[in-house]
Amino acid sequence: MTAIIEVQNLQMKYGKEEALKNVSFSIRKGEIFGFLGPSGSGKTTTIKIMTAQLTHTGGQVSVFGQPASEMNKGHNKSKFGILSDNSGLYQRLSIEENLLLYSQLYNLPKSTIEEALAFVNLQKDRKKKVNQLSKGMMQRVVLARTIMHKPPLLFLDEPTSALDPVNAQHIYNGLRKLNELGTTIFLTTHNMEEAELLCNRVAFLHKGEIREIDTPLALKKKYSDHSFTVELENGENHVVYNGEQGAVQLMEWMKAKRVSRMYSNEPTLGDIFVQITGSDL
Amino acid sequence: MNISVKRIQAIFMKDYKEFSRNYVISSVVLMPLVLALFYGRVGSNSIDMYFLPLNITLSMVTTYVQACLIAEEKERNTLRGLMMSPASTFDILFGKSLLVFLMTGIILAVSCYLVGFAPKQIIVIALALALSTAFYLALGTICGLFTKSIMEASLAVLPVMIIFTFGPLALALGEDHLLYKIVEVLPSTQLIRLAELSQANAAFTELIGAFSIITAWTAGAIAISVVLFNKRTKDL
Ligand SMILES: Nc1ncnc2c1ncn2[C@@H]1O[C@H](COP(=O)(O)OP(=O)(O)O)[C@@H](O)[C@H]1O
Ligand SMILES: [Mg+2]
Repeated sequence: MTAIIEVQNLQMKYGKEEALKNVSFSIRKGEIFGFLGPSGSGKTTTIKIMTAQLTHTGGQVSVFGQPASEMNKGHNKSKFGILSDNSGLYQRLSIEENLLLYSQLYNLPKSTIEEALAFVNLQKDRKKKVNQLSKGMMQRVVLARTIMHKPPLLFLDEPTSALDPVNAQHIYNGLRKLNELGTTIFLTTHNMEEAELLCNRVAFLHKGEIREIDTPLALKKKYSDHSFTVELENGENHVVYNGEQGAVQLMEWMKAKRVSRMYSNEPTLGDIFVQITGSDL
Repeated sequence: MNISVKRIQAIFMKDYKEFSRNYVISSVVLMPLVLALFYGRVGSNSIDMYFLPLNITLSMVTTYVQACLIAEEKERNTLRGLMMSPASTFDILFGKSLLVFLMTGIILAVSCYLVGFAPKQIIVIALALALSTAFYLALGTICGLFTKSIMEASLAVLPVMIIFTFGPLALALGEDHLLYKIVEVLPSTQLIRLAELSQANAAFTELIGAFSIITAWTAGAIAISVVLFNKRTKDL
């Protein structure tokens, strides 16, 4: 598999403040990659560097095999889409008029507006002016605009922060579909369930450094205490650990046919997040 | 440099729709016309009187409205979207100047009619006004790019108005005054000079001086606005 983004020893200083210290990762084509971390950990900074909105102060960053600084060149601009908190909409234009402008800027047929509206479930509201929309609706319009030209690479910086669960689900399904068609997605989010649902791989960023980077499953195994909860017929719950003692206990219960349910106590991504970022606050 | 007529047109149409729904800013357009009507009634007939409403149009409509249009794109974070799209710097700056350029043209023409100014060499006057419009447009773009909100842009435009629109009034101080020498090279002063010469049926060679000065100001202002714009494509 080829790398679509390659970041090596990335460093970013805003004046004296070091926002990113020695960050390295690589994203393969076709991945949904979750870039997770608390506010101020450097997620947006990383995206801005990869999309040539900022110049980094150290390390190498390449996107599509070119230096990231090339991403503001005309021929590269339609290869990616970006949604971030500085993606604004024209307040006095309707949803449809906002999308029309972008379809023209990207040279797309009108049918793409229809598809984009369906993607975010806003077909019925198309005539509404943006200044009459809720925050969540605006976020969906921006998302529609971002995916409209079906770029091979998407940067989504907290794309669902203002969405209700129903619309979030609709968006997740859409993103999965895009991904199946070959779109690579670089996603930042505070929502660990979202990351768990969508991402093939996640990185935990904390204070400008990557603390962990792997598949959600591998991380869960790594942070697991390898214990299992056993629920007995009489409703009692017991925690058993891997090893001699646990095995003897479990065998007794099983011989007596007392076990009703048993499950592994693996941590959620949320637990891991708290463990990584909460430990040295 | 890639230029796309389609993209320029898209940005222009977008601006037109937004502008026509923005009653606060679109009403600004009427003020120079009211002023021109007033001057017409008073019955002045000197060139510098004719040109006061024209120079006011250039700062109040051209510079001010342009600054607001650019500042609003910054305030609402929409400029970033344009910059990240395949539209080139030229597409964006040209597309975003077109609406105010056309509006200025119409208002200037109507103002000329209202004050009763009938150019003898219409092509010369049209060319000079078009060049001046480009200058004030670039000035507006610069003001808009320097500021972060419509509020700030409105303030930034004030010195422009004072210097360029009312500057020529300082000529009344007389040739020996220090201000005279400075004010003389302003594009607004040169515009009036040019109109005076033209109304006296001057030969084109006599107009070259004034044209050169206005062109130099225009080229300089455009260059600054392009450099500033390209700087803004990096983090805001
Ligand atoms: N333009 C800027 N100037 C100075 N510091 C900045 C700027 N943008 C971000 N920072 C700092 O860099 C750090 C990372 O910010 P950011 O990338 O926005 O984090 P995140 O997106 O993870 O919340 C923060 O400490 C923030 O204060
Ligand atoms: Mg952020």
